[in-house]
Amino acid sequence: MRYIIDILIAISLLFALAGVVGMIRFRDVFSRMQASTNISTLGVIGVILGAIIYSAVVLGDYSMVVKLVVMGIFYIITNPIAGHAVAKAAYRRGMAKDLELECDKYGEDLENAD
Amino acid sequence: MKKIKFSAFLSTAIVCYLFWLVLTGQIVSIFTGGASLQILLAGALVSIIAALFSARFFIRSKAFYLANPVKFFIWIYYSVIVFMWELIKANIDVALRAFGFKKNKPGIVKVESDLKSDYGLAALANSITLTPGTITLDIAECDGKNYFYIHWIDVATADVKEAGDAIKGTMEKWIRRIWE
Amino acid sequence: MNELLFFAICFVALALVLFYRLIKGPSVVDRAVTADSIEILTDMALILFALHSGRSIYLDIALVTAVLGFIGSVLVSRYLEGRL
Repeated sequence: MRYIIDILIAISLLFALAGVVGMIRFRDVFSRMQASTNISTLGVIGVILGAIIYSAVVLGDYSMVVKLVVMGIFYIITNPIAGHAVAKAAYRRGMAKDLELECDKYGEDLENAD
Repeated sequence: MKKIKFSAFLSTAIVCYLFWLVLTGQIVSIFTGGASLQILLAGALVSIIAALFSARFFIRSKAFYLANPVKFFIWIYYSVIVFMWELIKANIDVALRAFGFKKNKPGIVKVESDLKSDYGLAALANSITLTPGTITLDIAECDGKNYFYIHWIDVATADVKEAGDAIKGTMEKWIRRIWE
Repeated sequence: MNELLFFAICFVALALVLFYRLIKGPSVVDRAVTADSIEILTDMALILFALHSGRSIYLDIALVTAVLGFIGSVLVSRYLEGRL
């Protein structure tokens, strides 16, 4: 059982490392935002699953299990809301103007609407 | 002040009371015995007062849409198995890009969706944002159809239909089954 | 028992690496997103430390920092859109 917990946390650490490397390496703002999503999805879920198993089997403390489940649901619900708000604000500030985008349908439609 | 429906008030109060039970740790001591009556009553009072003020922000249309047990189990199945599989695939893809095994070419595409209800649109937008590699920027309504504007880290096609098939995958079918 | 501490130290080291982007980041949005990620990584270290010590008070701290990080990034985005 200890090996399962360690493997879950190690997978989560690997994806968190990938997110951090992406946030350092990527060139533009929106790509860095995608890499930060990598940290807050699988980087969180692995640790939370491992912690649930550990506190239920090894510690035997069920109030900790309930609290961890609430934390996992909270991360999953709030992360897309914050990401969506920050991305829309970044676009409205004009940060996508001088990037090399493959295509930009949103900008075209905003110009047509004006 | 707008008048709120009683079902909206009741569902908000129930959710608030569940959160109170979880955060004070009483939900474990109910099953094992030794729950304190004082804390339970104080929680009921606080959640009723909070629901009076906040019910009109949370519930717009149907209040008990997830009380149907079949829909509830489909929802659990969707979020644990279908969505988790999409999440793992997208995570591995973005991790390979981060370590430099693949090049990325970012862009903003437009995707069409035929969902109608507010809950379905919000669920699909949140699912798209939560998978790494795609972020929903905006939702616009045009001629009775809803369009998503999505920032995609690897633009394969700029076409509305093909990009929609590549991004939404199997998620839209399940969401239509739950929230429509 | 000591592996949990090792993993927690790894998460804190990743958070320290992100301070490079926090200081250098060319725009405000970079700094906001990076601060959110640093907060999430610190939360993971707090969860692992709570398991190591067996006390659930650290979980409460992690929950409160998660709520504060969410509210902070939504607030920054409202300010950037000019609607605050």
